[in-house]
Amino acid sequence: MNLSLESLRPCLDGAIPAVVATSAPDGTPNVAYASQVHYVDAEHVALSYQFFSKTRENVLAHPYAQVQVVEPGSFRHFRLKLHYMRTETNGPLFEYMKAQLAGIAAQTHMDKVFVLRGADIYRVLDIESVDPHIPPAPPPSDALLSLRHTLDRLGETTDLSDLADRGLAALTAGFGIRHALLLMLDEAGTALYALGSLGYPDSGIGAEVKVGEGLIGVAARERIPVRINYRTGDYAYQTAMRAEHATEPRIPLPVLANPHSRIAVPLIHGGRLLGVLYAESEHDAFFSHADEDALVVYARHLAALVAQAACEPDDAEPAHDEPAMRPTGAPLAVRYFAADHSVFIDNDYLIKGVAGSILWMLLNEHARNGRHDFCNRELRRDPRLPLPDFGDNLETRLILLQRRLAERCPTIALEKTGRGRFRLNIGRPLQLSA
Amino acid sequence: MSVQLTVEQTAFLQGPLSMNVGAVGRDGWPCVCRAQGVMVTRDRRALTVLLSASRGRAVIDALDAGSGITLVVSRPSTHATLQLKASAATRVKTGAAQRACSAHCVAAFADELKGLGYGAGLEQALAALLPTDDLVALRFAPEIVFDQTPGPDAGRVLART
Repeated sequence: MNLSLESLRPCLDGAIPAVVATSAPDGTPNVAYASQVHYVDAEHVALSYQFFSKTRENVLAHPYAQVQVVEPGSFRHFRLKLHYMRTETNGPLFEYMKAQLAGIAAQTHMDKVFVLRGADIYRVLDIESVDPHIPPAPPPSDALLSLRHTLDRLGETTDLSDLADRGLAALTAGFGIRHALLLMLDEAGTALYALGSLGYPDSGIGAEVKVGEGLIGVAARERIPVRINYRTGDYAYQTAMRAEHATEPRIPLPVLANPHSRIAVPLIHGGRLLGVLYAESEHDAFFSHADEDALVVYARHLAALVAQAACEPDDAEPAHDEPAMRPTGAPLAVRYFAADHSVFIDNDYLIKGVAGSILWMLLNEHARNGRHDFCNRELRRDPRLPLPDFGDNLETRLILLQRRLAERCPTIALEKTGRGRFRLNIGRPLQLSA
Repeated sequence: MSVQLTVEQTAFLQGPLSMNVGAVGRDGWPCVCRAQGVMVTRDRRALTVLLSASRGRAVIDALDAGSGITLVVSRPSTHATLQLKASAATRVKTGAAQRACSAHCVAAFADELKGLGYGAGLEQALAALLPTDDLVALRFAPEIVFDQTPGPDAGRVLART
């Protein structure tokens, strides 16, 4: 093969339908449209298996096929000689193709028709350029340069709060991304919560996504990047991201109503999933294959910085002892529900889970003992807080709580007074009830 | 004996279509090539499909060697798709009529894609990609016609000899 499969990746995004030719055992040819020809690695592609078709019947009996793909922009055609290897019906590749197919299906208004039943893996034996005289399409933007600009803008920081903000803002400078979320995995490993957001009217800080649900949840569960280049109405990938459960308080994710391109990339460090970086655009085909590569590298870098920040020791010296502000005015009603650790302020939902239990503990300490100053170490040791023994997310939970308070209830504020130290500022008297 | 295409199928074949021809080489490898024109005979029992000789070398060689032929035509805006198969195809002469047919089909295809937002400059790009100067015309009498519109019914036989 003179041509590399990598060089054909722009042809494998579903922008222009591919066709696949197969042969029946008696030599009768068959040609069918392939919804998806997915790049697996330098030697393999996968075709989506949606129905038991003649193509499938043929390759199971005679495992050879030729696929014709087209380069968007130039319309150059390429033909790939394929040898069918196997079919995968679950796992990362299957999930990626399922998500991507939802995007392709929506683009072609075939949402109800395209349901993935399997990923048929083929080895690529040969690639033929059908139109060598036609100039190639203009190359996509240089993703490596975008990554470098993003890293330059991110700079150095060991502060998690700063990292969450700058990590997202840097994407605009590098990749032109205007809408993005940074989500962290919770203590139980079953859900992700938004710690930072970029470019939405409502920040969505604290919004949760279950692992396995929607594009973000699939990326987390399978630990793979998932990229959809076209608008999709697929239920599993759309509504799971914005649904508000009728019976439990929930902060909606602030995602675009009709994103045309989306990508979710896991934050993995030392083999551990820490969270997911999500970005979206109002434009079709906004993220190229190369952008996906670059964002995977960036997400790994962010994950390493998050892990490093979590290991930074707390400041040893005691917190400053300036007099705290004195609460004045009408009292605020703070209600706590132990079942899900949710906290309501004047009947408005504020937060739940670990962050909710932290706030409730702090407010009670303040009410009983008049304390304002706290340190992370004592919170980690406090048996009232549902934190795991190892690898807790205390710092990110505190950032989440601090941001949520700043947005929804600035009367109560968490002020950082040093590494691992903070002060509770309360502007009005509180009425606590549980 | 061949299938007689319906009036509707004949009209469909004259619309703006994406066309591909498949065959199987002597070595058993299936091969495919984009076609750039189709003409239906007056009695609706045979078709002539037009290929570029340079782009469709493998398909043409396979057909010359006695392969069966399959033609898949799809309208991009509706995804309505037909597949027509025959056990053999024969080469026929090309001339001004075939070149005109090819130019017309390619332009109609480009126009259809333009309406779907595939970008500007399509007519020129497709005309450069699918020129009319090395056309090969292949005539065949369809023996079986399938509805190949994507969906669970894809592959339904519409007519057979």
